[in-house]
Amino acid sequence: MTDSLLVLPFLIIFTAALAAALFGLPQLSRRISVSRLSWILALAPLTSFVLLLSYLPDLQTKMALTWHITWLQSEGINLRLYFDGLSALFAYLITFIGTLVVVYAGQYFKGDQGAWRFLTYILLFMAAMLGLVMAGDVITLFIFWEATSIISFLLIAYKNDDKAARQGAFKSLFITGGGGIALFIGLLIVSYVCGGTSFISILDKGDILRRHDFYPLMLILIAAGAFTKSAQFPAHIWLPEAMSAPTPASAYLHSATMVKAGIYLMARLNPALGMTETWFWLLTVTGMITMLTGAYLGLKQKDLKAVLAYSTICQLGMLMMMIGQDTEIAFKALVIGILAHALYKSSLFLIVGIVDHETGTRDLRRLGGVRHAMPFTFIIGTIAALSMAGLPPLFGFLAKETLLATAVHPSLPSSLMWLFPWASIITGALMLAMSGMLVWDTFMGKPRDPAVQGHEAPKLMLLAPAIPAILSFVIGLLPGPREEAALLAAAASAAHGFKVKVSLALWTGLNIPLMLSGIAIGLGVLLFVFRQRVRAFQTRMIIKLSFNAVYTWVIKGIERIARWATRLQQGKLRTYLAIMLAGAIFLVIGYGDLPFKIPFLDITWPSFDFSGELAILRIFALYLTVGAALASVLLKTDFSAILAMGASGLGIAVLMALEPAPDVALVQVVVDILAMVILVLALARLPHPQHHHAQNISFSKDRPHLIRDGLIAAAGGMIMMLITLFMLISRPRQSAVTQFYEANAESMTGSKSIVGAILMDFRALDTLMEITVFSVAGLGIYTLLRFAAGKFSDSLEPADEQVSSSVNNWPTYGIGGRKTSSFIHALAYVALPLTMIIAVFHMMYGHEKPGDGFTAGVIVSLAVGFWYVVFGYEETRRRLYWLKASALISTGILLAIAVGIAAALVKDSFLANVDFGKMLGLTLPKGFHLSTSFLFEVAICLSVLGSAIHMINTLGRPSEKRPIQSASVKD
Amino acid sequence: MEIITAFAVGLLFAIDIFQTLRRNILRSAIGLVLLASAINLFLLSSGAYNGIEPAYVSETGSVQSDALPQALILTAIVISMGGTAFVLAMINIISTRYKTRDMDQVNGLKN
Repeated sequence: MTDSLLVLPFLIIFTAALAAALFGLPQLSRRISVSRLSWILALAPLTSFVLLLSYLPDLQTKMALTWHITWLQSEGINLRLYFDGLSALFAYLITFIGTLVVVYAGQYFKGDQGAWRFLTYILLFMAAMLGLVMAGDVITLFIFWEATSIISFLLIAYKNDDKAARQGAFKSLFITGGGGIALFIGLLIVSYVCGGTSFISILDKGDILRRHDFYPLMLILIAAGAFTKSAQFPAHIWLPEAMSAPTPASAYLHSATMVKAGIYLMARLNPALGMTETWFWLLTVTGMITMLTGAYLGLKQKDLKAVLAYSTICQLGMLMMMIGQDTEIAFKALVIGILAHALYKSSLFLIVGIVDHETGTRDLRRLGGVRHAMPFTFIIGTIAALSMAGLPPLFGFLAKETLLATAVHPSLPSSLMWLFPWASIITGALMLAMSGMLVWDTFMGKPRDPAVQGHEAPKLMLLAPAIPAILSFVIGLLPGPREEAALLAAAASAAHGFKVKVSLALWTGLNIPLMLSGIAIGLGVLLFVFRQRVRAFQTRMIIKLSFNAVYTWVIKGIERIARWATRLQQGKLRTYLAIMLAGAIFLVIGYGDLPFKIPFLDITWPSFDFSGELAILRIFALYLTVGAALASVLLKTDFSAILAMGASGLGIAVLMALEPAPDVALVQVVVDILAMVILVLALARLPHPQHHHAQNISFSKDRPHLIRDGLIAAAGGMIMMLITLFMLISRPRQSAVTQFYEANAESMTGSKSIVGAILMDFRALDTLMEITVFSVAGLGIYTLLRFAAGKFSDSLEPADEQVSSSVNNWPTYGIGGRKTSSFIHALAYVALPLTMIIAVFHMMYGHEKPGDGFTAGVIVSLAVGFWYVVFGYEETRRRLYWLKASALISTGILLAIAVGIAAALVKDSFLANVDFGKMLGLTLPKGFHLSTSFLFEVAICLSVLGSAIHMINTLGRPSEKRPIQSASVKD
Repeated sequence: MEIITAFAVGLLFAIDIFQTLRRNILRSAIGLVLLASAINLFLLSSGAYNGIEPAYVSETGSVQSDALPQALILTAIVISMGGTAFVLAMINIISTRYKTRDMDQVNGLKN
């Protein structure tokens, strides 16, 4: 039961969203108007709709269609799709209404070429929503769930210069996002209990889940997610404020799709979590309160969209209540309610959008009598409103009938026997009054505000609300068993877990629901007639407990806590660093499982007869390293400290050479020198007056800090000593990994150097990353100092200066403005080409002798650095203008990737070892192979050289414009 | 020999951490460079065995030094070099922006 085509609708819509985003480019958006663009884009949801329809016959025979691709195999998480009747119902609504909304949006935003942004968001939202209802896995579901929250945030805040829109968007994100977190935890618990994340394994484990100790917990958590998303009381407060979204978005998100996500989730999980007392009471009570709240508050609104928002809340409560019931008729009512509501509510929203668009207001106190100006809008709106009112022969009537049939079902507990029917009747009456008010006060009577002058909307714009309105008319009247009844039955069965029969006959004989319906209609008409008085009464009744106040209080509280928490931050970097280090040390001591029991007997004390071959040299090198490091702490001037640091690094190089690790020693030497050069250059660049102060504070008599730092340092040192000692005396004689490299280095990579083989071949991707990091460091320094530094400096440096090759009148000065001798000049002239030759040899024979592309690059850049020291900044830039750092970096990295791909084409593994020279039959010097690793070395060399030149260039650039006579490095 | 190496590594770490915590921001950077080399030394001592020959394919059959930590150290050296250079650029920015090299006077994080 796998069907890879299931993913196609999602991909089509997603691609359309990306295509819409492309029209953000002015070159493209100039060529096509928004309305035409929307026609093209609407093809995507339409195609998806048709594609999904083609699965309908399959659903009659199979329970569900599934598809998955392996994703995080080790965690057992796959990207799964699951398509059954319930998913199908929602997916059809999403793609069908989605098509209408996209077309409508094209008309709504006519002339606004910035509307590609809206189209992108709405298509992205559509893709996410489709993914949500077709997810076959709780993780997949959750990802799409969050995606809908985030994209709806973007849609609500679409008019982002409107403060109300931003606040509404934030509120919606805050509430639904918070629910999303609860949902995530709940879903994780469910999949933990079921031993799998896919719905296939969850849905038939209902008995295990219901009997589990965590059942109440997971129910509450998942319900929190669903209730917040579906605007259930008391989380309903976000929905009315989300009306600040453009009307096409409201029509789509807040009628047909996003708010139904919670309904979908609960219906989906009903077979697994439902059919318990807790479930029944939780959903019934929440749903009923929501339903009554929505209906009651809806009648008192003055804004057309707000009326619709509250009636949506009311409808959502009703649907939630249906899921809580465990009867066949309830699930029938659920699916009919979903379909009816989606049809009439999307139509009404779009109609309200038209009214708003054409008259300029949605205020019921100003509208009235626009039926003459907008006859078609009036007719369509009336049909949709009649369906909302639940009047025959519209589809909404059937929805209300089934609701009432559920309300009088004999299986209800006695405490609800009266409450449930009366709540339904009152809701029905209020809904009827609301729909009457919507139509009457907008279209009939006389205009309350003469300034409001409407005119008919373009036909294309009317098309979108007309189709669902006509459908809600037609579905009720068509006779006989039909396809849509079968679809609804499949959806209801999937939610119920048992077979549900659905017939769409309007007339089912004279029965209790019909009588109740009559009561509701009568009551509703009364409410409608006396609506002014009712509304006046409602406005007088001040609701003491406003949940918006709770929300505001929570947000304020979070802000207060944040302010309090940031007060702890006193902004001293040194303290942060000390706390972090102390924390790390504490963690290592506490939980690091340190080897305190060291077998001291095993330790061989060094025999101080010094007859050992290398021991004396090692001790010397260690002494040099540690001593120089200590000196760099104690020496007074920064310049000497840098030199001591260099000496310490050279000590490390000696140790590496004694290991023996010649490759490392070589790199250590060149890097150490380069680091020293760059440090000295950076020191020279720093503003002069700061030197004195900085050097004084190096030895400030700040005793508490010295003691604190000393303690941290001592503790850190002790820990490292313990670990090192333990590692050294318990060394295995055999390495688990290295043996493989030793055995295969030559045969697999053609390299004699095992270290080189690891770097260039076995772990070539690491090396590629490494040079990328190095290159980014170089580019970052360049960007920082060229563009950011100028912002803060007094003598605004030109952002991008031109060192032209024009005649420079300044005599050649070395670094710090010192004159340098011609002898050294000659040396510099020789050094650069020489280092280049050395570099080439390093790269050519790196696979059998120490040295590699990195060393080669650093060596050349050292020669360049030498030029900077000898000739000074300006002169060097003028003479070495052909060393283009950024070009070198990009050439290097692109070459590495190109070589990797070329090798992949030959040996189907990225950067695999391929001897291109042999392949092409070239005659090359002995011992040299034109192989992947050589070309990779060249790439490394180029990018490293480029990056190092950027570093030297930028850091070596004197901050003073002209050479100064006193050497700044020397003080 | 082990105990001397371990002692030296521990001492080096202590010195470097201390140096990193100095008020003079350039000293702190020097501490960072030194810390990187201390870590490299520490990595080296995690190798499986002490060889007497470098890790090259040869026929002599004598014990070679462990190639794996060496490869790791090579990468670490390069990365820390890039990091150091970047830190220096940041120091440059700090010293132009705050007109100081005293870490305690860098107060942009204070609310």
